[in-house]
Amino acid sequence: MSKSVIETPPKGGFSFDLCKRNEMLSKKGVNPPSFRKTGTTIVGLIFQDGVILGADTRATEGPIVCDKNCEKIHYMAPNIYCCGAGTAADTEAVTAIVILLCLCSDMVSSQLQLHRYHTGRESRVVTALTLLKRHLFNYQGYVSAALVLGGVDVTGPHLHTIYPHGSTDTLPFATMGSGSLAAMAVFESKYREGLTVSSPIPFFWSLIFLFQRNEGIELVTEAICSGIFNDLGSGSNVDICVITKGGKEYLRNHLQPNPRTYTSSKGYSFPKKTEVLLTKIIPLKEKVEIIEGGDAMEE
Amino acid sequence: MPKEQANWSPYDNNGGSCVAVAGADYCVIAADTRMSTGYNILTRDYSKICKLADKCVMASSGFQADVKALQKHLAARHLIYQHQHNKQMSCPAMAQLLSNTLYYKRFFPYYSFNVLGGLDNEGKGCVFTYDAVGSYEKVGYSSQGSGSTLIMPFLDNQLKSPSPLLLPAQDAVTPLAEAEAIDLVKTVFASASERDIYTGDKLEIVVINADGIRREYMDLRKD
Amino acid sequence: MNFMASKQPENSLLGLESDSQRTLYVTCLISIELGSSLDVRYPYVTGTSVVALKYKDGILMAADMGGSYGSTLRYKSVERMKPIGKHSLLGASGEISDFQEILRYLDELILYDNMWDDGNSLGPKEVHNYLTRVMYNRRNKFNPLWNSLVLGGVKNGQKYLGTVSMIGVNFEDNHVATGFGNHLARPVLRQEWHENLSFEDGVRLLEKCMRVLLYRDRSAVNKLQIAKITEDGVTISQPYSLKTYWEFSAFENPAQGAIGSW
Repeated sequence: MSKSVIETPPKGGFSFDLCKRNEMLSKKGVNPPSFRKTGTTIVGLIFQDGVILGADTRATEGPIVCDKNCEKIHYMAPNIYCCGAGTAADTEAVTAIVILLCLCSDMVSSQLQLHRYHTGRESRVVTALTLLKRHLFNYQGYVSAALVLGGVDVTGPHLHTIYPHGSTDTLPFATMGSGSLAAMAVFESKYREGLTVSSPIPFFWSLIFLFQRNEGIELVTEAICSGIFNDLGSGSNVDICVITKGGKEYLRNHLQPNPRTYTSSKGYSFPKKTEVLLTKIIPLKEKVEIIEGGDAMEE
Repeated sequence: MPKEQANWSPYDNNGGSCVAVAGADYCVIAADTRMSTGYNILTRDYSKICKLADKCVMASSGFQADVKALQKHLAARHLIYQHQHNKQMSCPAMAQLLSNTLYYKRFFPYYSFNVLGGLDNEGKGCVFTYDAVGSYEKVGYSSQGSGSTLIMPFLDNQLKSPSPLLLPAQDAVTPLAEAEAIDLVKTVFASASERDIYTGDKLEIVVINADGIRREYMDLRKD
Repeated sequence: MNFMASKQPENSLLGLESDSQRTLYVTCLISIELGSSLDVRYPYVTGTSVVALKYKDGILMAADMGGSYGSTLRYKSVERMKPIGKHSLLGASGEISDFQEILRYLDELILYDNMWDDGNSLGPKEVHNYLTRVMYNRRNKFNPLWNSLVLGGVKNGQKYLGTVSMIGVNFEDNHVATGFGNHLARPVLRQEWHENLSFEDGVRLLEKCMRVLLYRDRSAVNKLQIAKITEDGVTISQPYSLKTYWEFSAFENPAQGAIGSW
């Protein structure tokens, strides 16, 4: 059999054998299932006294919308939330990405929870950031998640973006996903520092915070709407999450700008059902011998 | 040499859906007005429906540049026909011409997915449905384009047509009244724009009957 | 032939699975038809987005003056908007030399039209239609002109604004943009454009778009021109630059207050 497997026992860490195999296969003309993009618009923004995250609610599988109202703002810790976008995945695109993001955020949120039990303190955003980027870097981009992470901790409000390969960025405003450019167009033309803050705020980070809460929510909503209406991968409703010092507000379906456009007044009937061929019920017990208890698993 | 571009392709898919329904004395042809490329909307108001003759209308989705070339070609052919025969081409004749035109480019196809609708010589509604290289069929109703996979099963369910295998051949025309057909088309597009990302913005409906051609519009989802 | 044989797994000719495979197959067939290998050439010096819109009295168009050689900013004074005939204005992104070739075609077209000396002249609609045919024709020959073109104009009180891509996709709209402009400028235009924009508001809106592009499109440069076409003819502005703002305190020291975030 193959010697190399025996000669070099795994040292731990991750194995990329399958990646090499796939590369070899595609060179020889055996194409893997085509990679698909899954659309999303996710954004985040630092305002006067906290962070606002926003997301659209469309999930697509190729050209088809498979969920019109999904949740893309995930829980990390009571004071930290995370928006997820899948940039690419195989044929099970969305399911894979949704599960993957859930797993990803569940895993990290569990670790954060354990860390809180251990330290008895509130989680910090950098901790979540480090856990996420380590995880993604370990998978060298094969876990194709693009994230916007936001939260408020003892050191103030923070906003980060995380790319599939594990690189991160610290920004006053951020957008991700296929609608990122449409959303960024809004931020780049409307974001200003120190907007309508009448008197300087006494905290040391006050310089960074710019928006009154409502102005912040309005701008985030506008950015998400820009993604929804200009990017085909994004659509349906606007979800918002406002995190402030000592509190958060999850505004699920903050705006629903896309109601159904037409419903027939008379409705439609779907006359013929699948024909019932048999109504006799055969209890399984009579056919199969069931051994209760027993020790079948033992040698 | 800066050569960052990926392999160049002469084709693009500009999306969109088309539907046509034939009745006893009318024909309804409809298409959305969104034109897109990739995840981008190019314009929200581009008509995919083209009047080819007095009683013959074509709705096409696919690659816009090919569709435009095809429309211009058919318009030119129809002009020649009028000069030679001093009359408008009938819908079934136009259907055959469209097929031939598409097949002429069999090895560099027009990437266009068409439905042709109109009235035949008896004033009865007729619909012809095509693939990109010209194979076509006369049917009672049809759907083409990006949302056709969502629309067609619903039409099949609501408008069961007699099997084309029956002998003698049965009339494929749908039993609906004109208003019912328009209502059905509106429903079908409202539903398709809920689930197909390439269908939306606005619906353009063309109705052909003994009185002539009439156009209607309805808003669709813009996301 | 060799191209096809090497790229296509033998058994997949019957069941072509993906679109890309089908395109490849068709492409191969075409190259056989034409009796030549594929003739596609790739661009050298390129210009980035053009943005244009209708306003109260005509059309406004904006383009920056950068000419990129790959990712090198090679030229800094490229004029990418030119008047065509009496009633039209053409803006181009993509390969600069192809654009200049198109200008030659158009000069000839306008010249031959003038030679009729019948008092008629080609309007924007005609020029746009001519361009769509030229672009589509070249894509049919697998030798595209590597441009996205924007054509605006006014004739007999009718405003006209349209665009063509290198494969011949063309349409009219109240506002158009090419390249990155499609992603970054059109969302802004869709939100803020209206029928009765004054000249000043139109310019302000274009500058807003150009500023977003300047911030987010790496090949954009801060030296641009704005062109105007009305019933009275074309005016193209002197090159100028936009005011920008880079001093967000969060950009100056991003990791401040987030120690350990790199």
